[in-house]
Amino acid sequence: MAFEPKTQAFTSSIATVTLGTGDKACKLGGVNVLPFYSFDAPIENAPKIGVEITDAGIAAYPQKGLQEFYAGCTTPAEMAKRVETMHGASFICLHLEGADPNGENKSVEECVEIAKSVAEATDLPLVIMGCKNIEKDAELFTKISEALQGKNILVLSAREENYKTVGASAALAYGQKVGAESAVDINLAKQLNVLMTQLGVAPSSIVMNAGSAAAGYGYEYVASTLDRIRAAALAQSDDQLQMPIMTPVSTETWNVKEAIMSEADMPEWGSAEERGIEMEITTASACLAGGSDAVIMRHPAAIKAIADMIEALV
Amino acid sequence: MALKGLDIFKLSPKKNCKECGSPTCMAFCMKVAQGAVALDKCPYFSPDAIAKLSEATAPPMKTITVGDDIKLGGETVLFRHEKTLVSRNRFAVPVCTGMEDAEVDQKLADMQKVDYERIGEREYVEFVLVHCSKDSAGKWEDLVKKAMATGRTLILDCECTECAKKALDLCKDAKPILNGANAENFAEMSAIATEAGVVLGVKGESLAELHDTVSKLEAAGNKNLILDVTGKTAKETLANAVLVRRTALKDGDRTFGYPSIVNLSKIAKGDIHLQTALAAMFTLKYGSIIVMEQMSYAEALPLYGLRQNIYTDPQKPMKVAPGIYPMNGATPDDPCLMTVDFALTYFLVSGEIERSNVPVNLLITDASGMSVLTAWAAGKFSSSTVKKFFDEFDIAGKINNRTLVIPGKVAVMKGEIQDKLPEWNVVVGTREAVEIVKYLKDGEHIKAAAAVAASKKPAEEKKPVVDENAPIDFSKLVIPEIAHKDMGVTYKQRNVQSKKFITIGERIHCISPVIREAMATFNPDPILERAAQQIKAGATYLDVNIGPAESNGPELMTWAVKLLQENFNNVPLALDTANKKAIEAGIRVYNRTNGKPIVNSADAGSRISNIDLAAANDAIVIALCSADGIAKDNEERMHHCHTMLDRGMALGMDAGDLWFDPLFLVVKGMQDKQMDVLNAIKMFADEGLNSTGGLSNNSNGAPKALRPIMDSALVAMAMMQGLTSAIVNPNDLRLMETIKSCDIFKNNELYSDSYLEI
Repeated sequence: MAFEPKTQAFTSSIATVTLGTGDKACKLGGVNVLPFYSFDAPIENAPKIGVEITDAGIAAYPQKGLQEFYAGCTTPAEMAKRVETMHGASFICLHLEGADPNGENKSVEECVEIAKSVAEATDLPLVIMGCKNIEKDAELFTKISEALQGKNILVLSAREENYKTVGASAALAYGQKVGAESAVDINLAKQLNVLMTQLGVAPSSIVMNAGSAAAGYGYEYVASTLDRIRAAALAQSDDQLQMPIMTPVSTETWNVKEAIMSEADMPEWGSAEERGIEMEITTASACLAGGSDAVIMRHPAAIKAIADMIEALV
Repeated sequence: MALKGLDIFKLSPKKNCKECGSPTCMAFCMKVAQGAVALDKCPYFSPDAIAKLSEATAPPMKTITVGDDIKLGGETVLFRHEKTLVSRNRFAVPVCTGMEDAEVDQKLADMQKVDYERIGEREYVEFVLVHCSKDSAGKWEDLVKKAMATGRTLILDCECTECAKKALDLCKDAKPILNGANAENFAEMSAIATEAGVVLGVKGESLAELHDTVSKLEAAGNKNLILDVTGKTAKETLANAVLVRRTALKDGDRTFGYPSIVNLSKIAKGDIHLQTALAAMFTLKYGSIIVMEQMSYAEALPLYGLRQNIYTDPQKPMKVAPGIYPMNGATPDDPCLMTVDFALTYFLVSGEIERSNVPVNLLITDASGMSVLTAWAAGKFSSSTVKKFFDEFDIAGKINNRTLVIPGKVAVMKGEIQDKLPEWNVVVGTREAVEIVKYLKDGEHIKAAAAVAASKKPAEEKKPVVDENAPIDFSKLVIPEIAHKDMGVTYKQRNVQSKKFITIGERIHCISPVIREAMATFNPDPILERAAQQIKAGATYLDVNIGPAESNGPELMTWAVKLLQENFNNVPLALDTANKKAIEAGIRVYNRTNGKPIVNSADAGSRISNIDLAAANDAIVIALCSADGIAKDNEERMHHCHTMLDRGMALGMDAGDLWFDPLFLVVKGMQDKQMDVLNAIKMFADEGLNSTGGLSNNSNGAPKALRPIMDSALVAMAMMQGLTSAIVNPNDLRLMETIKSCDIFKNNELYSDSYLEI
């Protein structure tokens, strides 16, 4: 008797969350199988790639490939426009690093203006990534959500300390989508979703950022957190963990030694840019293998590789 | 149905001959039960026993060994969190008879450039895949020879029997893989592989065909196989890899229970970035050997890092090798920063140091892979371990600078380290890694070291060298006067034969800043206060944790024992410290009216000699069922339990004086292991053994309001399983009421309406 593999589609599925509006709107989640297990059931929505640009413009990206890709862009808005030409880009992630009170400390008003200019420049859905300062982020997310009403943006992210402010303003008052951030802690990931839904935020407005790490830097915790979230969501039908997952990759990978150590310091390692690209590819692919429905990346070459892989596997 | 180690042990010869490579029959049987070793490694099982066991014990996936002892497969779970993944995936680079000589030479030379060490593991390309195309035109043997010259293990990718024979004649001794069997040629290829004693790779046009071919090979007696699951596309290849593994592990079909080869040079030809993406995917999704067209440092650094992360045992922390790590171009003239060998700590700290750009020497000491505070509390990071580390690694000889920065979290060790390393200027650094950049950039460490140096007395009297192994001269101990205070509570005389559940109050612990301070200054008040509270709340025993107490352990413990027993009617105590001399001194003045002293604690690893200490002093000992880290399952817990039981009884201890601790685990993080712990308690009880443990560990990190509820539920379940004692916070009213109620149901205490009040 010929071998017939058993299939394993689940009765539960990941919630579908839509970002943006119009033709370029993108859908995250919706799957009822483990990542890329198309042999079990068709993949409802292929994973998406978001492209990180920052308020600092191209000055923040010294790598040659990035400088070439964004050549001539002087503002984040122009960079956003350029991203539309990038193979594999589904949405833009505007990283407001400069808002950090311990850094450049750009004012909320200035950041709102940047966000507005980016939203006007492109039809791609927009994700706003904060500066990791809890108070400042809450304020940023509120004001930007207000200014961009109707654009269906996602703010990344609400945390345990500020989910009330962020959830109430971004999602409830202005109808935007909210990311719920927990640092590789599956119990907190679930708890935040519970708290947000108790607040009145619809599950279809929540995306999880369950934490991230570069390959080789404690990535095992990320891998197991993602595996366990998907197992709980699908096999145990835990509807408090059925939100799609969005994982920032570039912010982790472009800071590690492998990506920044210069070729002069480590001649045998070869091109630093190439190392950074492969680090970004490796980490993004591992996140997708664990169940991320979207990854946020930076380098066009890395984005192309991941886009090609998604295309090949779905 | 998998058998348990103990079931196998019952049928074993029980000779402990060690011929199988395991120290005892028990250890061997447990490895067999886990599928780590085949039963036939033991020559002494009776044929009857073998027949009974062989079918039931065959592992779901075979472990295949190739080359220079490279192990592939042997997995028992699909995801690392379910237990652990065991055989890390390996990488191969291909060469082909269709390539020009120069290209082959270049590829082999480039491939060998990547060879480095990462956290104790050699990272390199383990395999060369040598592909024989149809028109090899006499180049085949030369190509095999060139590949052999690299010293790497070969995968002979060749479906022609003649070529296979020629190649094997050259290289079979190095245990290559003959990746050449298909639906047509498998019988002949299998004969060739078997003759040469090498592993046979099997291919199929479809999974059904592959399954069919493997079944036929197995029927013919060849189970030394690896499956090339590469399909026509990446999508088909992923499906094959997942389905083969899932069929074997989840559906129990052992025909697919073999490791796999995934050849990315076929499905993503010419696109190294796409190959990297797929290599990461197959690292997580069941590729045992991943073939990539190129492996430069750019691919290797992230892929080997990912692999090392994924293949770490979730229950064994990743450790960095102890030693000196010069950072940012540091020389022996730069200051030293010290931390522990827990890999995550190392990566955080080294990352921040790199960011600071300040040259320093990072010293990594051996702390059994624990984080700073955990290691300190367990006595694995103390002034003695630091001193030992400095001696072993000759730090003073290798480093000229005398500034030593210790982690802020263990500021309390500063004095003791300074005493042991008098020529160094010991400085307390930051509590968190993120503060390091600012700290170093501002030169805080240099300023602080200068201050320490300035404060040193010019000709400080050298302290006499203390021989740590010398017996204590009790006449020389200087014990501060014992304060006697009326705390309004007395300890009620206890029947030591009582079957009632024993609570050990945990509140006198030096990890609490108040108690740490009180112990540092011999201030009796906070200690008496906490003792009174716990006794009032119904604690049977009080635990006295004095920390590592390296400089004055015997004095401190003697003082604490006398203080507590004299003030509270000889309340029985658990003496809790890594300092053996302190325990010995404490027991010397201990009054046994209300129960023997408890030695807290021994384990089956480095602390096993605390059983000897208990035996020599007629004490009870808490025996942690662990050796190096948490036991991975109950087989291992019971193995540790029996090791310690053996030792205690050989020394004349009563079995009831060993209280076995299964080690309660935190729900947030180890939720899926909770039932294991409860089942271990049942196993102890079934053997008539006593048990105990730090029960409230289960609810660590949970909201305060929840903890009593979780602890109470767990203690009820654990008492049902036969738990006889627990280390608890007696001030937790709900928990204490639950324990009293359970004692009623267990008929350990006669019921009355007021049972909670007595």
